[in-house]
Parts: sequence; C-alpha cells; structure tokens
Amino acid sequence: MATNAAAEKLRFDAPGPAFYELDPVHFPRPLTRYWTEVHPAAFASGTADFARYYGMLIGGLAMSYVNGFGYKNVLPPPAEEIPQRFARADEIFEGKLWREQLKEWDETAKPTAIATHRELQAVDPDALSDDALKAYLRRCRDHHAAMIEQHMRFTASAVVPTGDFVAHLSDWTDVPLPELLGLMRGASPVSAGASAQLERLVAALRGDPDAQALLASTDDPHRVLTELRAFDGETGAAVTDYLDLVGNRPLDGFDISEPTALELPDALLRAIRTAVAGDAEANDVEQRIADVRAKVPEEHRDTFDELLGEARLMYRLRDERGVYSDIWASGIMRRAALGAGRRLASAGRINEPQHVLDAGLEEMCGLLDGAASPSADELGSRAAYRAAHSAKDAPATLGTPEPPPPDPSGLPPGIARLMRATGTALGALFGSSEAEHEEHLLRGLAASPGIYEGTARLISGAAEFERIVQGDVLVTISTTEAFNILLPLLGAIVTDSGGLLSHSAIVAREYGIPGVVGTRQGTELIADGARVRVDGTAGEVTVLP
Amino acid sequence: MAGAPVEALRRVPLFADLDSDELHQVALLFKKRHFVQGETVMREGTDGAAFFLIEAGEASVSVAGSARANLHAGDHFGEIALIDEGVRSATITAVSELDCYGLTYWEFRPLLLANGAIGLKLLQSLAQKLRSAEAS
Amino acid sequence: MSGVLPLAEVADTSVFGSKAVGLGEAVRAGLPVPDGFALSGQTVEQVAAGDEATVSAVIGTVRPLGGPLAVRSSAADEDGADASFAGQHLTLLNVPTVDALPPALAEIWWSANSDSAISYRKRVGLFTRPSVAVVVQRLLDPETAGVMFTRNPVTGADERMIEASLGLGEAVVAGLVIPDSYRLDREGNALERRPGLKRIAIRRKEGGGTFEEEVPAAAAEQHCLGDDDLAALSGLARRCEEVYGPGRDIEWAIADGTLYLLQCRAVTR
Repeated sequence: MATNAAAEKLRFDAPGPAFYELDPVHFPRPLTRYWTEVHPAAFASGTADFARYYGMLIGGLAMSYVNGFGYKNVLPPPAEEIPQRFARADEIFEGKLWREQLKEWDETAKPTAIATHRELQAVDPDALSDDALKAYLRRCRDHHAAMIEQHMRFTASAVVPTGDFVAHLSDWTDVPLPELLGLMRGASPVSAGASAQLERLVAALRGDPDAQALLASTDDPHRVLTELRAFDGETGAAVTDYLDLVGNRPLDGFDISEPTALELPDALLRAIRTAVAGDAEANDVEQRIADVRAKVPEEHRDTFDELLGEARLMYRLRDERGVYSDIWASGIMRRAALGAGRRLASAGRINEPQHVLDAGLEEMCGLLDGAASPSADELGSRAAYRAAHSAKDAPATLGTPEPPPPDPSGLPPGIARLMRATGTALGALFGSSEAEHEEHLLRGLAASPGIYEGTARLISGAAEFERIVQGDVLVTISTTEAFNILLPLLGAIVTDSGGLLSHSAIVAREYGIPGVVGTRQGTELIADGARVRVDGTAGEVTVLP
Repeated sequence: MAGAPVEALRRVPLFADLDSDELHQVALLFKKRHFVQGETVMREGTDGAAFFLIEAGEASVSVAGSARANLHAGDHFGEIALIDEGVRSATITAVSELDCYGLTYWEFRPLLLANGAIGLKLLQSLAQKLRSAEAS
Repeated sequence: MSGVLPLAEVADTSVFGSKAVGLGEAVRAGLPVPDGFALSGQTVEQVAAGDEATVSAVIGTVRPLGGPLAVRSSAADEDGADASFAGQHLTLLNVPTVDALPPALAEIWWSANSDSAISYRKRVGLFTRPSVAVVVQRLLDPETAGVMFTRNPVTGADERMIEASLGLGEAVVAGLVIPDSYRLDREGNALERRPGLKRIAIRRKEGGGTFEEEVPAAAAEQHCLGDDDLAALSGLARRCEEVYGPGRDIEWAIADGTLYLLQCRAVTR
C-alpha cells in the first residue's frame, strides 16, 4: 500500500470540460516529459485524419497528460462536416477504401519512413559537436512526431475490416472472439518487412554451423551479436540487416524511456535462437477457416469470404503501422538523447546518462547550452517518480461522464456499420492485448449476506455515478449518503475501508444486496469492468477470469 | 439583506416586464449560494430544482462534453427548472469561486401562477432558445 | 423565539426533525448529550434567505454555546425506519464560531434543495418541498469515537457491536477506516475484539472545517478502547434501551475521558 500513500498526495484535475479515460493498456506507467510534450498534437492530428477519411462521427481523439498519466477523450466532429461524413461512411464499405490506405502505406508511407529511420540512425551522436547534437535531437523529435501522426493516421484501416468481420460473425455464429482473431494470422504469403529480414537471418544461420555454435554459446550476449555481425558473407550480411531493422526498437511500450532491443542483447539473442529453432507451427489455418465457415448460415457464406479476405489483407497493418513508424522513431530518439545524456553526465551536469530521458526536448538542448535548470536532482526525482508509480495510482476517469453514444441502429446504414465495426475492433484489440486476469480472491468483512455476480464499476465520487449501469457491483474506497442514489441500480457493494456499522454496510443490508466492506485493496485489485463474484456471507470477493 | 439585489434582477430578460413592486417581490425570494472553484453547479441530464443568477465569478457551460460558453456576473441559467423541474440541458461548472443568487421551483411557482407577465416572458425566452438550437 | 430551542425542550418532529427530537429525549432522560440547540426548518430557511431578524435571533440564542460547533441536519419528513438512506444529510463539523453559523445553515438549506436531493426525493416518492431542520451542538475533540449497535446487525444476535476509531466518529460512520471492532454480551463481557486498520483520524482544523490526519502505523493497528471504555459503552447501551427500547444505532464519542451520546436511533438493519 506504500505507493497508494504516495499517490494519495497527487491531485488529478480534469484537463478540461470533457470526459477523460485513462489508457492503462498502452500506457501502464507515467510517461516522460518529452513524450507528454510531443505526443498530444501528433496524436490529435493523426486521429482527426482517420476520422475524416472514414467518415466517423468523431472529430478525433485527444490525449492529455495528468501527473504523467495518459488520458484520452473523444473530440466531437465539426458540425459542418457531418453531412459529408455520412456520405463518406457509405463510400467506405462500397469502395473498400481501406485498400487505398494499404496501397499508400506500402508504396509511400512505409518506405519513406524506413528511409528516414535508417538515415537518422546512421548518425553517431557521440561524434557530433554540441550544436550539431542539438540540431540532431530536434530532427529526431520532429521525425518522431511525424511518425506518431502516421501511426494514428493508419489506425482505422488497421482495425475497421477486422472489426467488420468480427461484428458480422457475432451476428451469424457464436464462435468466440479469440478463435475469430486466429483466422487472421498464419498461412499467408510472406509480407515485406520484418519477416523477410528474419527469414533471411534464420536461413543464413541454419546454413552456417559456426554461427549456430556461437549462437548457442553462453558468452556475453552483446559480444555474441557483435561477432555475428562480423561474420563473412551471407551470415554477417543477414545479421546486420536484421539488427539494423530491429535494433532501435523499444522491446516494450512507446516512450523513449523504454530500452531498445540492442540495449537488451540477452532478450534479442533469445528471440533469434527461438526463430532459428523454429517451432513447426501447425499450418492449419485453412482448416480452421473452413470450420468457422461451416457454422455460418449458407446465405451469408459469400459475404463471409469477402469480409475475411479484407480482414486478412489488412491485418498486418496493425503491427506494421507502429513498428515502422513511431516505435522505431522512438528508439532513435532515445538513442540520440542518451548520446546527450552521456555527454552531460561526464560533464557532471546530470547524475546519470538515463536521467536525460526525463527532460523535455528543449530542456535537453538547454542543458547542452549550459542552462541552469532542470537541475540534476530534479531530473533524478522525475525518473524516480516514474519508477514509483503505475496506472493503478491514477483514477480511471476524470471529468463529467458524457451521455451514452447514439444507438447505431438508428443511424444511416453506412455510419451504423462503421461505428459497429470500429467499436467491435477496439474492444477486440484492447481485450486481446491486456494481460490475463488471474483469479483473485479478496477478503473483507461480511457486511450483508448473499452471493452476487456482476460487473465491477470503480467509482471514486459523485462525478462518476453516471457510469453505473443496472446490476453493477459498486467498488469504491468508502461510501457516504451521497451514494444512496445509486442503490436501486446495484447488485452488490464492495469497499476498501469501513466496518460493519459503516454507511456502506448499513445500506447494503437495508437494500438486501450482498456487501463486503473493509477489503483494504478492493479498488487496487479489482479492475473497472471486471466480472466479480461477491459473497457477502463469507466476506469474499472473487475476480473472475 | 434578504434576497437578491433588485438591480441584478432588472437585467434578467425574464423579469424585464415586471414593475418595481413585483421586482422587489421576486428579489426577496432569492437566496445566496456559493460554489467553490471546480464544483459542478448542475449536471446535464439530471433533474433541476433551481434557477441561478451569477453575482460574481465565472462558470463554464458544456453540452455533451464540449464547451459552449462561459458565464459571468449578471448572467443567469437554469430557468427550465422554474417551469417544470425538467432535466438540465447543460452542465455548468464553477471556473472560479462563484457567488450566485438562487431561486427554487417551489418559491417561484406561486409567483408564476399569480403573475401572467412573468409566464409570458419565460415562454418567450424558451422559444428563443429553441429557435437558436434549431438553427445551429 | 420558538424556532430555536435548547435540545431539552425539543419534541415536535414535524418542526425539528427526528434527529433533534431523538436528542431531546436523550437529554430529558439524563443521557450524556453535548449541549445544543435545535433550529426549525423554517428558521433555517429564513437564515438562508438572509432575513436579518432571524439571523440575529439565532446568533444571540446560540452564542452561549461558544465554539467550535457541529451543525447536523435533522430532516423533518424523512423519518422512521428508512431514515438511514433517505437522502442528503449534510453535517458540517467545526463551524468555528457562532458568527459563522448563518453561511453554514445556508449551505445545509441548499444541500437539501439541490438538484440531486430533489431528484432523490422524487425517486422515493416525495414530491413535497423539503424542510430541513438543524441541530447545533458544541463540537467535541474526541480521543476515540464510533458507532454501537445494541443488536448484531448481521446475525441478529442479542449482543452489543462496537466499532471505534481515533478522532471524530465520521471516520467510522462514513467508513473511512477499518475500525477496531468489539462484540460484547448483554452483561458487558467481551466476546470478540478485533483491531482494525485506522490509518486516518478526522480532526478539527484551526479556523474551521476538518482534515484527515495520518495515524502512525503502530497506533493504526492497536486497540483504541480499553476495558473501562467498553464498560462505559455497555452501560450506555443499557440506558439507551431503557429510554428507547431495543435495537439502537448509537453514535458516541469519548472526549477528555467522558463518554458522550451523539445520536441514538432505531437500527434499520
């Protein structure tokens, strides 16, 4: 509970009059100052672009940072554009316009991005003068911002066809989501990109016994990689080619604070060994497709083929748009910044090279110029802050909840289908990237008997009351009479603190719903939206997987 | 001093056709209310009970999550509550410490029934709002 | 002025609300209630409206209490068995002086007339205008405080269940801490003692209002009530039952070693 005490001193104010949602999936930790300065404009611009391209009824998305935590809100569409958006949404499905985006990606966006990445990463920051380094830092930042925008620009195309497929399938069958997503992968022609380089590497290594021996050795991983690069002929070329492609990518996450592959040679080597060993992945996707197709009513099977075809065509864009855009650019920015960091640390200006990552871009340049702030200790404490906090310390939402979105079935068909596809896709993609929930058992005081299973809703105060839906399980630190208004909607109550004679316990008994109070960590361990079983007789709350 | 200052009420179009005595009567019904900075004064979609006139401070108006306007001293809001305790059409948040005069439905109702001029004014004000909502 | 009465004289629920009347009965029965006054719903409204005569009468009458004050709403029509979840019962602790009482009363009036209070009343079928009376008492600075039920609310057993924490009792009522918990039989013997996790204490702040004070780890998990305290509470439980009958929900506080009764109402559940 120590982090909780620290977090209690943080004040979270809604950045504006909208409704903001924390994004713990993409941003499980606070972001660096650099990121919070660069990300918002690029993100807003890129999302506005895809919203317009697809004729969506949103203006785009905005990301705001509160205490370093990322909060997303939806921007409304410009009223004057709404008519043409309705028209556009119809065109999208008729013309399969995502294919045009894929074409743009393959022919222009991706190759141009890769060319710039390679150009930038060919520069050795340590060899630059201070002035040249500052210019280089700014170039890397500008490139990173452009790449973030690019990533977002292609987001809708990456997800809408998949979402459209999944939405239709859920109308026709009850095949579960993971199985449907499984039909996207495997048994497709090798696409250009990482798999080509990796395939080349695997082939070269498999054909080179000396290289394999080195790969298998327990020598220092960094040295192993350096030596493999230096091999003659195809092996050395393949290794170099592959490392140039993946080396400057963060292994996890998006921020410049995340270590890149080359900084973690151990992990990189393990990945290469696995690829070389190669698991003969059962190439049965054709069979699985046939199985699902058989479950679809006959009159829809042609549509099934069409939708699946589009989804599989677009699926690789989901990973590529990040890996070839901002993920790579972030690693390059990190590399440049660490160059400045090493310089500043040896001059005694900052305590450790990594601390430079907690400076904003202009702050980095200022430090190279000899600026007095931020101080070494200030940067150190920013780094410590990020290390000590996680998304669990931040409220799930800020600001006033909005009225629910319009029921899509009341909208013109093009927009309705688009909204459904987007909604389904986002649900599927976010769900599949979350960590698995383990069955968590919490104990508290058995305040009101009975057993109830429902969706947990984490509510921190009156501003969030509108999030409660009939049948929800209220999960909160404690309740006051202001919460009484929710009682007709609740299936059960779970609190962190409070005793059997506290308000929450009394109202749970009066209302005849199961109640467990004094769990101590309910709000930390139960995720908003998780399915829970509340046993008010035993005083137990189970988070269901 | 009880109630709102008569001068403040004169500027409210709703009360523009009242004579001096009637204005004093209405003014007496108001009570001061203070909101702290950041406090939600009223929330869109919830039932409304009172009409407010701003004496000092600033409030922001938002509808469906997007900011619409900012209100200052002399501005008023929430008049639907005076007619039928209907649902609030906007969310109003105190941007600074906010001093208001408030009038609840129960206090206003008898006055409305006794004084046709106020009723007519209220209807006109609403008609105006409907027209501008339809036009946008 | 009959709109402001010392608690000992309060008997009319329709004018002063059930909380005030309950305390009036307690005072008349000789139970240890902190000194105070009840203000009728109409008085509260007149003060909120700024009526000068009422304001000065109230201040004049209440002034001998000194300060600081605890101001609690006593709703006039949300009575009886459903009292515990009948809406916004605003309590203002630590109104520093009697001169600060009028704005506090205005705040209470508005909270009873707020959008959400009115919504809630409509939802439970109360379409009439709310009337909120108020109890004003000396604010204690208790070492420990909490709640006691004269019947186990979960099992229904004939026991006294006590929950206690440090500082003002709101910490227990509002469930801000996991309180120390005690079960006693009718004779006052302890059947069970369980220390809680009392990480915060609500204390009064200089100049008005309260704050949450962090309690050091050792004290947070140590019993805050000793045998003498439990004996006193057991005695209070018995006396309350004699006055009111069985099944009592009691709010209590121990300040300067003296046990006080802050509220006594029927256990609803």
